[in-house]
Amino acid sequence: MTDAPPDELHARLATYIGKPMGPPAVAPDPVNVPMIRHWVDALDDRNPAYLDEDGTATTRFGGIVAPPAMLQTWTMGRPRIEGIAERGGAPDTITVDNPIPVLDAAGYVGTLATNSELEFVRYLRPGDRLHLTMEIDAISTRKTTSLGQGYFLTWVTTYLDANDEVVGRQLFRIFKFDPSTIDPAKLGGAS
Amino acid sequence: MTTARSDVQRPSTIAEGDELPPFALAVTSTVIVAGAIASRDFMPAHHDRQFAMGQGAPDMFMNIMATNGYVSRFVTDWAGPEAMVRSIKIRLGAPAVPDQPLRFTGHVTQTHREGNEQVVEITIRAANEIGDHATGTVVVALPVEPSG
Repeated sequence: MTDAPPDELHARLATYIGKPMGPPAVAPDPVNVPMIRHWVDALDDRNPAYLDEDGTATTRFGGIVAPPAMLQTWTMGRPRIEGIAERGGAPDTITVDNPIPVLDAAGYVGTLATNSELEFVRYLRPGDRLHLTMEIDAISTRKTTSLGQGYFLTWVTTYLDANDEVVGRQLFRIFKFDPSTIDPAKLGGAS
Repeated sequence: MTTARSDVQRPSTIAEGDELPPFALAVTSTVIVAGAIASRDFMPAHHDRQFAMGQGAPDMFMNIMATNGYVSRFVTDWAGPEAMVRSIKIRLGAPAVPDQPLRFTGHVTQTHREGNEQVVEITIRAANEIGDHATGTVVVALPVEPSG
């Protein structure tokens, strides 16, 4: 990977650091047992802390807690299925001023998720109603990688409960790249 | 119906270098779709092969929430139900696609006492034939058994 010096596009992108990546969002439903059960069955995760099916919830959590990796699930937007493919998978039409449209317009239309860092302050219980804020944390200078040229964009989502106490965070980093700069010989089948 | 292992780790015996039992997830289209929908992720790349291939992927592929879920499961199947996962930090690589088993391996890279808990860092890798799907660390805290 090689670095380019800061350029005009990077200067424009850098003005977004510290600003919201997306609007604040409220979970459509509180943490609940049916969704936990759905997850437990889908991932075949039989940790008894998540479902007290035998009435033997004797863990130190003292009752059902949600699987920690469900954190982001609770605040996923309600999808409008019609047209979802045309929107590239976005649950609904969103108009937000963030670096994504700026990068898309400059030709960096490819997107690859590179890092996810989840931190859990406490486990969630049925009834917890979450909301979140998303803040842009970092934007790299232009990098040349095996996927071509592009910019790394990092944002942090903070998850809060109804009392505005932080329950968890997620740092997320993507690489926005220009597909025309890909060297196919270096791709190796991965996308 | 439970498939959870009953061999809960004793925090006092966990040591750096301890290997977690390897786990191979038989990834199928059903596994990918089930994980995506359970996490309320309706992105077509996680259920529609044609859409995914149109985006340059070799097939439909697992969503990141499910990847984190399987990483968490891999660690807590070993650490036991008393473990609280404090963090899951992964670098994402090769897509997890149908008919390629995802092989999870991990070992303890750090452990220390913190109050009434033993904090354990596990370095994990989930890989398939394409390469490393996820690599990184998971930190769990286990209650220390009362002495005496």
